[in-house]
Amino acid sequence: MIDPAYSPQDASGIWVFLEQHEDVLAPVSVELLGKARALSSQSGAQLTGLLVGHNLDALATRTACLDLDRLVYVSHPLLSQFTAEAYAHATAEVILQQRPNIFLLGATPYGRDLAGRLAVMLRTGLTADCTDLALDPESALLLGEVSGFGGGVLATIKCEQHRPQMATVRPGVFPEVVIRRETPAPVDHIEVDVPQAACPVSVVGRRRHAGVDVSRAERLVIAGAGTRGQMGPVEALAKALGAEIGATRVAVDEGWAGRERQIGQTGVIARPRLAVVCGASGATQFTVGIEQAGLVIALNQDPEASIFEQADLCVVDDLFPVVRALVAELESHNGGAL
Amino acid sequence: MTGELHMLVCLKVVPKSEEVGVDRETRTLDRGHARSEINPPDMNALEAALALKDRYGGRVSLLSMGPPFVVPMLRVGLAMGADAAYLLSDRAFGGADTLATSLTLASAIRKIGNVDLVLCGEESSDGATAQVPPGIAAWLGLPQVTYAMDIEVERERGHVLVTREIRGGEEVLDAPLPAVVSVKVSCNQPRFMDMDGMARLDSDDAVTTWTAGDLDVNLSHVGLAGSPTSVAGLREASQSAGRRRELVSGTPEEEAHILYEHISEFLRSAGSRTQETKT
Amino acid sequence: MTAVTEAATSVPNAILLDDNRWDRVLAATNGEAAACYQCGTCTATCPWGLVAGPSIGVRSVIREAQLGIDGWADSVWRCTTCGACEARCPHQVPIGEVMLGLRSLAWRERTVPSGLANVLWDMHWDGNPWGRPPSARSAWAAGLDIPRFDPATHTTLLYVGCTASYDRRAQKVARAVVGLLRAAAVPFGTLGDDEPCCGDAARSLGNDAYFERIVMANTVRFKEAGVASVVTVSPHCYDTFASHYGAAGDQFQVRHYSQLARDLIAEGRLSFSGFDATSATFHDPCYLARHHDETEAPRAVLGAIPGLELTEMARSRAETLCCGGGGGRMWMETPADERFATARVREAAATGASYLVTTCPHCISCLEDGVSVSGARDLKVIDLAELAMLAGCASASPSSTEAPHD
Repeated sequence: MIDPAYSPQDASGIWVFLEQHEDVLAPVSVELLGKARALSSQSGAQLTGLLVGHNLDALATRTACLDLDRLVYVSHPLLSQFTAEAYAHATAEVILQQRPNIFLLGATPYGRDLAGRLAVMLRTGLTADCTDLALDPESALLLGEVSGFGGGVLATIKCEQHRPQMATVRPGVFPEVVIRRETPAPVDHIEVDVPQAACPVSVVGRRRHAGVDVSRAERLVIAGAGTRGQMGPVEALAKALGAEIGATRVAVDEGWAGRERQIGQTGVIARPRLAVVCGASGATQFTVGIEQAGLVIALNQDPEASIFEQADLCVVDDLFPVVRALVAELESHNGGAL
Repeated sequence: MTGELHMLVCLKVVPKSEEVGVDRETRTLDRGHARSEINPPDMNALEAALALKDRYGGRVSLLSMGPPFVVPMLRVGLAMGADAAYLLSDRAFGGADTLATSLTLASAIRKIGNVDLVLCGEESSDGATAQVPPGIAAWLGLPQVTYAMDIEVERERGHVLVTREIRGGEEVLDAPLPAVVSVKVSCNQPRFMDMDGMARLDSDDAVTTWTAGDLDVNLSHVGLAGSPTSVAGLREASQSAGRRRELVSGTPEEEAHILYEHISEFLRSAGSRTQETKT
Repeated sequence: MTAVTEAATSVPNAILLDDNRWDRVLAATNGEAAACYQCGTCTATCPWGLVAGPSIGVRSVIREAQLGIDGWADSVWRCTTCGACEARCPHQVPIGEVMLGLRSLAWRERTVPSGLANVLWDMHWDGNPWGRPPSARSAWAAGLDIPRFDPATHTTLLYVGCTASYDRRAQKVARAVVGLLRAAAVPFGTLGDDEPCCGDAARSLGNDAYFERIVMANTVRFKEAGVASVVTVSPHCYDTFASHYGAAGDQFQVRHYSQLARDLIAEGRLSFSGFDATSATFHDPCYLARHHDETEAPRAVLGAIPGLELTEMARSRAETLCCGGGGGRMWMETPADERFATARVREAAATGASYLVTTCPHCISCLEDGVSVSGARDLKVIDLAELAMLAGCASASPSSTEAPHD
């Protein structure tokens, strides 16, 4: 085994990386603070938030009012834009100084970049995309639950000898719980040295997505022939689910949806987490487009429809009343948006 | 940047996700019945490398760590147009977590030498951690750009301009070569094997196999021995390979309620295959 | 840069002809296109003229490819290889083969339309162009207890094919074919999950090199399995084995099931109870009617069904109107208002028949789609074997002691 940067005996505290964009904390960071607080209450460990960047004094002050015991704010001009190299350099320096026992980050593009690079720099173990975190009652080790094989297998991972025990967690896994302290937590403002050589990459441009790309949609409501062109309920369901609208070839042919929304062999192969298929018979040429979906719900009046072979949840019924009732149910729960 | 562009693509051979299960008795992974495939995002990485070779010239090397059955898969990559392939095969490499894996691959990349651009798929379909590309970059002290959708090489400056996906949009990064770039799955369509290249499927040569002894690595830093993380427990997820085909019945309201419960439970738990939550 | 090139690039709209390109087209098409003298009969015959304004413009495609003019590749992919053009060509230019040769060139030049590489990858990794797992290939036969082909006891190998194995609609046809074979007590078996793809999709999409690899591999497999006689469900598989396996194809006899059925009826081993006055019309698959001059075998079967009134469409037999599914088109998208099948279904509906009978899985798929799009709700698309089973088939001469020689 490679030597740990520091030993478990020398490690203490739970740290959470606080990702921010334009002076606002990423929601996943707030979610992680909540979970970390639960863990630290269990073990009596100190909970520290780590904010990295530049000119974030105002954010640091606001963040110190959240439910943490300490805020470490690391700044340097070269940290004003996120790059994995610069952030890893600065973070590694602070971690080696302060020696946390556990270090948690959000599994976002930036979080995963940073965590992956940092774990090697710190010669430690990283458990990625955890869907749950716990502390082992006997060993007090961090246990990260992860899924593999496209979600088919769940494993619990531990890191025994190396520190910090690192884990990334997907946004939306833990609830966002905002508790404010009565008095702000102490803020340690650490100015690190970040040499230009540690920042080889520069950000040349950024832009927001425009237009529809159903292949990237995390959630899809797909309209098939059975919708008979009545897209209203389909659109309402998509809106309630925060989903994109997809369509089978028949629906596109009939003009009910644009060709860019066609799912299937000659359309788009999508990889949604959730697919609600309304009124599609389930021809092979269509189902190949959602084969990789996490959860497939199919609604069709025909009990023989082959879509039911390719679905997790099968509703053999007239799709319209079911869709309407589901929209109503979703809207009534929308305080805790899915 | 002098000389020709040398791109190295890391390929992982994985069991097809939908065919893997957990042995309920032994609580271990049952991969025995699963067919193998080249990790789909790695095919995108290979296509990206071949497209760069078409555009800028140069050569493409393949690198993989795995048992000997990986060799025919590497020949597929050669048939697509890659120039050389290297397999790291040794029992000592087995059971490696991402730290040990990235260390081993980095060591091979150093041995191969003169690599300008390391290309990987964004993550592998089995572990799905996405940690190996940044890990390789860290071991080699190279810049990293992940979730790339488009790559342009500026030969005179010796830089790459990479468009990559971030939450809700894209950014363009400028990185000096050599660099490590991981590509977004489905960012391109992997070309089929070259008509003239197909003969390489039958050839015995062209793949170099290295064992632990061929690499400059400390044996205690590779494989299971070199892995700080370990598996404490394993179980099959409720929503696994093959669809559940669970019938939902009742009045429309009852059906909608059941669907709602399932949807909210699912979205809060395991099973994401998508870009959004993985990035 | 030569003086000629320099001069050419300074002239607006000048096209610089590339001698290499001419040679490449010549090589890719085996020189077949050279006989074309640009009469345009092909263009006039092509069904594309029926559904879309401009026809494929067969002669322009060839000319543009020869000259290397941009965009030549686009039309080449629209061809369904229906053979209507070459049936009329005064110089017998094998136009379908020329199209495939040009497609082969497109693979080499990497100008193949999006999505087609995936079809070939599916064939490579999964052994079928639909990307379905090999372990599910014989799922269509669940409950039928079909034996594994054994040359010692089986006279015939039933070659199911990828579409009939995996496509839910076509699976019903496979089951019906089994019904016919059993009714006639034909000793047959299949290769089960080990049945290899015949390679038609690769050939039709123009990847001749990959197709040749498949032919070589299958030739060995069939030989090892002791296959001497094959019956196919699809005319495409039939055509592939009969016409494109070269010398290897001579190792075994191959028939389409309609031909075997005709023979069984003639031998008195298969007959039908029949219907009360049911009307039908027959759509000839291109790959039987034109590619193999086979128009009578399906009609012999239809003729043996009592109570079945057959009304022919004007475009029948060798004049059949392509359904649009050949030439790899099953893996490409055709806009709804440009599908041959829509026009064909209207022709069928005009006969007043209740059943539109055909005998090809791709035709079934395209024609059912055509029924859906054209709204001809009273017309039911059915495969010959399905209709025969519906008509109630019985084996004749149960006491026959003659050894079957299928």
